Order: sequence, then structure tokens, then C-alpha cells
Amino acid sequence: MLRWLLLRFAWLLVTLFGVTFVTFVMLDQAPVDRAQLEAAQRLADGNFADLSARDQAIVKLRVSYGLIDAETLQPAPVWQRYTRWLRNAATLHLAGPEVDNAAFWRRITEALPVSMLLGFLGLLFALLVGVPIGAWCGMNAGSRRDRGFSQGLFVLAGVPEFLMATMLLLVFSAGWLGWFPSGGLRSDGSEHWAVFAQIVDFGWHLVLPVFVMASGPLVLIARFLRDSVARVAATPFAANLYAFGIETEVARWRLLRNGGAPLATLAGSLLPMLVGGSIVVENLFSLDGLGHLAFRAVHEQDQAMVMALVLFTSVATLLALSVSDLLHRLVDPRVRLQA
Amino acid sequence: MSQPVVLATASRRKPLWRTGVGVFAALMIVCGVLAPLLANNVPLCARVAGQWSFPAFADYFGSPPPGPNDLSWKQWWSRLGPGSQDFAIMPPWAYGPGETDPALYRAGPSFAHPLGNDGAGRDVLARLIHGAGTAIGLGGSAVLLAGLFGTLLGALAGYRRGWLDVVVMRLVEIFLCFPILLFLLFASSLLGDSSLGLVLVMASLFWTSFARIVRGELLSLRERDFVLVARGLGISERRILWHHLMPLLKSQIGVTAAFCMASAIVAESTLSFLGIGPGQAASSWGNMLRQGSDVAYLGHWHMWLFPTAAIVAVVMCCHVLADRVRSRATEQV
Repeated sequence: MLRWLLLRFAWLLVTLFGVTFVTFVMLDQAPVDRAQLEAAQRLADGNFADLSARDQAIVKLRVSYGLIDAETLQPAPVWQRYTRWLRNAATLHLAGPEVDNAAFWRRITEALPVSMLLGFLGLLFALLVGVPIGAWCGMNAGSRRDRGFSQGLFVLAGVPEFLMATMLLLVFSAGWLGWFPSGGLRSDGSEHWAVFAQIVDFGWHLVLPVFVMASGPLVLIARFLRDSVARVAATPFAANLYAFGIETEVARWRLLRNGGAPLATLAGSLLPMLVGGSIVVENLFSLDGLGHLAFRAVHEQDQAMVMALVLFTSVATLLALSVSDLLHRLVDPRVRLQA
Repeated sequence: MSQPVVLATASRRKPLWRTGVGVFAALMIVCGVLAPLLANNVPLCARVAGQWSFPAFADYFGSPPPGPNDLSWKQWWSRLGPGSQDFAIMPPWAYGPGETDPALYRAGPSFAHPLGNDGAGRDVLARLIHGAGTAIGLGGSAVLLAGLFGTLLGALAGYRRGWLDVVVMRLVEIFLCFPILLFLLFASSLLGDSSLGLVLVMASLFWTSFARIVRGELLSLRERDFVLVARGLGISERRILWHHLMPLLKSQIGVTAAFCMASAIVAESTLSFLGIGPGQAASSWGNMLRQGSDVAYLGHWHMWLFPTAAIVAVVMCCHVLADRVRSRATEQV
């Protein structure tokens, strides 16, 4: 087990190097860098006397973002800048060389709770709804209700997140029924309300975003569990359980435990799904989370922020993959761990 | 009792392309590929003063030539006298995706425009047809590229094993880590509106699913006895891999391709819905939806409903196709 963990950790590091290097090189290919964008913005605001002032500002900005060397003013080779980024990343100094690291981290830590909450609630909802549906359909595979549910899930799988979000917004929000707010996390002036009212208000704002976040994972979980439970229910093991005269409730519980074990392997694909979902959801519902931060960073060519976000999501995904393998092993002793 | 009957129907199943979904998929592909010839405001074929020209076909290579005598093709066409030697054959749907008409600003469905018009007075049906071209062109080429590359790498990794296997599987894991949308977001901010760039980036994300499936299947297939027999008969390794083993994976690759096609179409429309990527320049469903969802609650529901229906229908069609291919493959075994 320890050997497996160490091996796994080593591979995790190798993969992380790969992910960050690919991203770094890709970001380097951008035709317009962040300094030029920012200078163009300031020029448009009338902050520069003439164009040479702008060019000087571009050079300064490039130095501060670590795009060019401070002394020679020449762009350093990619691998050199990548190793410097790595060195800085090792000490969690993820902003550019002369950029305020604390402010950079504040942006991330302010956005993180929103995304975590959305992701957590979305996953929770998906599990609470998906697991019972999947389990029930799997144990009654082939019945008319199973086919009905499966068809429903099939349709739901065909609706992309952004479509789901616009549909819900149109029907339940601004468009027609007006039951739910169309964005944000709290109503205007809610800070003067009683605590209970504030909590209700918060939850009320979360209903639609969480539902959209949950829609993808829900379908995945329910269909995966249905297939896996149906497969177990068709084995001699299941027939044996019933033949022994074990109570139906107990037998079903055992089938579920058997068929649910592979569910642990889904964690690796659920996490990227949630990250993608958060980009769409946070943009459509105007929530200030990581997805929104990523969207803005991409628009502003904020290389440091994109790198930081890619680093976080890939660390989270890789950890989720390892944990899901471990979980699978814990639930199902027949599974062998492979690095 | 019922067993022989079921078997009899199973063996005489219609080929997939003749079922409902198959016909729909074929129709969509035809729509996408032939979009400039199906819906356009320039003639397919025109004779102007004894000169033949084919303006609609020019859409495949760039912008069509301007109409004769400083008129647009349509004005020229509507003014053709009965005795004139000139003539034009218009496409079946004589509206172009970029043809604006201020008089029809957000006009609802009418007899002349069954799906209505958008904020610039463009015909929604024409834009939908051209949007199929964007979606299927981008998605199809990305999936084709990803399929070729992923299958090749997966086959080599799964059959040869060794260091190649290790390298390929590490690469797969690296690419699996990227959340698709985040990756596409920053890729398209680099590439701007280049379609080729988007295709390459989508292909670089999707090849991993092909590689994983092919490798996984080959790992068990290569240990089967018929491979040993083939090897004993002196058949070359390359021939065993490509002629004896790969044909067995046809249906798995097909299923993966259908799923990838669905995610490619979703990815493209999400990007253009968020306001980035090549879909901005061309007619794309995501772009139409971006405009439509802003005005749908003002009563212009048609600008939102039809692109939504198109996306959902095509994505579901891909999923159903994948499901059918899979269930047929298990039936045969």
C-alpha cells in the first residue's frame, strides 16, 4: 500500500509537470500579451501623453509580469521562464515577479468558497437524486418504469449546461414565472435583514445554479449506477441471495453495495465536469467564483492566473483520481491497486 | 417459445442508416455540407448576358461574386423580365444567412419565413442550416482527426506495450486533467477566430478517449489464441494488428466517435454562446442562442427556441446512435 502511494505520488508529479508545461507553452503562443492589452486599455482611457510613453509602459509591465528579463529586456527562452515559474510555484508565489502576491491570492481565496459551495451542493444533489434513481432502475432493469427513467435521463444527457441554464432562467426566472432571482448570491439590501431571512435568501439564489451544476453529474451517476447494478443483479450471486431467502431489503442493499463500488471510479471524470460547469454557471448567473475568474483571466491574457487555475484544477483532478482508486479498493477488496 | 422469434428479428435488423436516427443524422450531415447550396441569396446557376456563373458554389472558396449591374443577385433576379435571355436558378431556400432586412426586425414566424427573423432581420431557417455546417464541419473534422490520431496511438500502445505504452498513457492522463471548457477557453483566446485552430485543439482533447478505448480492448485481445495462431502462421505483426484485430474494434470506435461528436458540438456552441471562437464570425447555433436568449423573454421566443431545438436534437441524435451501435455490437456477440 505504501509503495503504491509513493509510486502514485511520483506519477502525479510527472503528470503535473506535463500539464503545467503544456499550458505554459500554449499561453506563450498568444499573439497579444497581457502588457499590450493593458497598455491599449490605458491608452484608450487617455492615460498616456504619446505612443512612446505607451511603449515604455509596455516594457515595464512585461518586466513586472516576468515576460522579459529585467536587465537585457529580451524575452527569455520558454524553458527558462518555465523553470522560474516552477521555482516560484514551489513557494506558492504564483503571481508575476513584481506583482503583489497577497492580492493575487486574495482574488483566488475570495472566489474559491463560491465555487466550492456550488460544486459541493451540485454534487450532493446529483448523488441524492442520481443514486436512488440509478439503483432502483438497475434492480428493476427492463421494467417499464426503468425504461421510462432511462429515456428521461437520455434526454437530460442531450441538454448541454448552458442550454439548461438559459431554459431555467427563461422559465423560472426573469422570463416567465419569476420564482427565482436571475443572478448573484444575495438580494439588494439583504444585509439589514434578520439572519434567518438572509440564509433563506442565499438558498433561494442558489437553487437554479446548483440544479444546472448537478444536471451533468446526475445523469452520469444515475446511468453508470443503473448499468452496474443491473449487471450485478443478473449474476448468480444475486440469484443466490434470493434463493437463501434473505429479506428483499437486505438483498437489495447487498446488490447496491456490490454495484455501487465502481461508482468510486467516476470521481476522476466528475471533477473536470464540475469545473467546466462552474465556468458556464458562474457566467450566466453572474456569481464571482473561480469559473468567472478563469473567464476573466482568459480575456485579459492573465497568464499567471490561468496557470494558477490550471495548476489547482489539475492537482484536484489528480488527487480525486488517486482517492477514487483507493476508495474503490476499500469498498471492493477484489480490486488490485495499480500505479 | 418467444426465443426463436426474437432471434429472427434480430438477425434481420435494418442497417443503422435506414432507421429514424440514421436518416436524421444523414440529413444533418447533408444540410451541413450543402448549406451554401440549400439556403442562399445568390443563385446556384445564373446566365448573365450569355455568361454562365455559379455564385452559390463560390461560397465554398470565399465570398460569392457581386451581382450584375451594381445590383445584388436577388434584385437582379426579381427584375428579370419574362422575355429575357438571362435566367437564374435560386437555391431551394432563397435566403442567405447574412442577408439582412431591417423591415423584418425580430419578426416572428410567418408564411414567408416559417422560423422568423432575428435582430438584424436575417432568416432564422437559413442561419440554422448554415449553423449545421459550422457545427458539423468543426465537430466532424475534430472527431475525424482525433479518431485517426487516438486510434493509431492507442493501437500501438496496446499492441506493442513497452515504453510506448507508458508514454501514451501518461500523455492521456495529462490531457484528461484539463477541464475541456477551460482548455478551450484559453486556447480560443490565443487562436482568435481561427476554425483550424479550434479543430486542432478539440482534436487534441478528444484523441484520449479513442486511445484509451482502443488500448484497453487490445490489451485483452492480443492475448487471445487466434492471435497466437496467426503469429504461428507467420503473418506479420503489422498485419495481425491492422487486419485481424482492429476490425473487431469498429463498433467501439464508432461509439466513441458519436460521443465525441456530441461533446464537440456542445463545446463549439458553448464557446460561441460565451462569445468567443470562430462561431462568432459564421452562423453558429451557439451564437444564435446568445442573441436569442437575451430577447426571448421580450416575446421573441422564436430566436431562442429553434437553435435550442437544433442543438438538443443533434446532441441526442449522436447519443442515440452511440447507444444503437453499442447494443447491436453486444447482440452480435
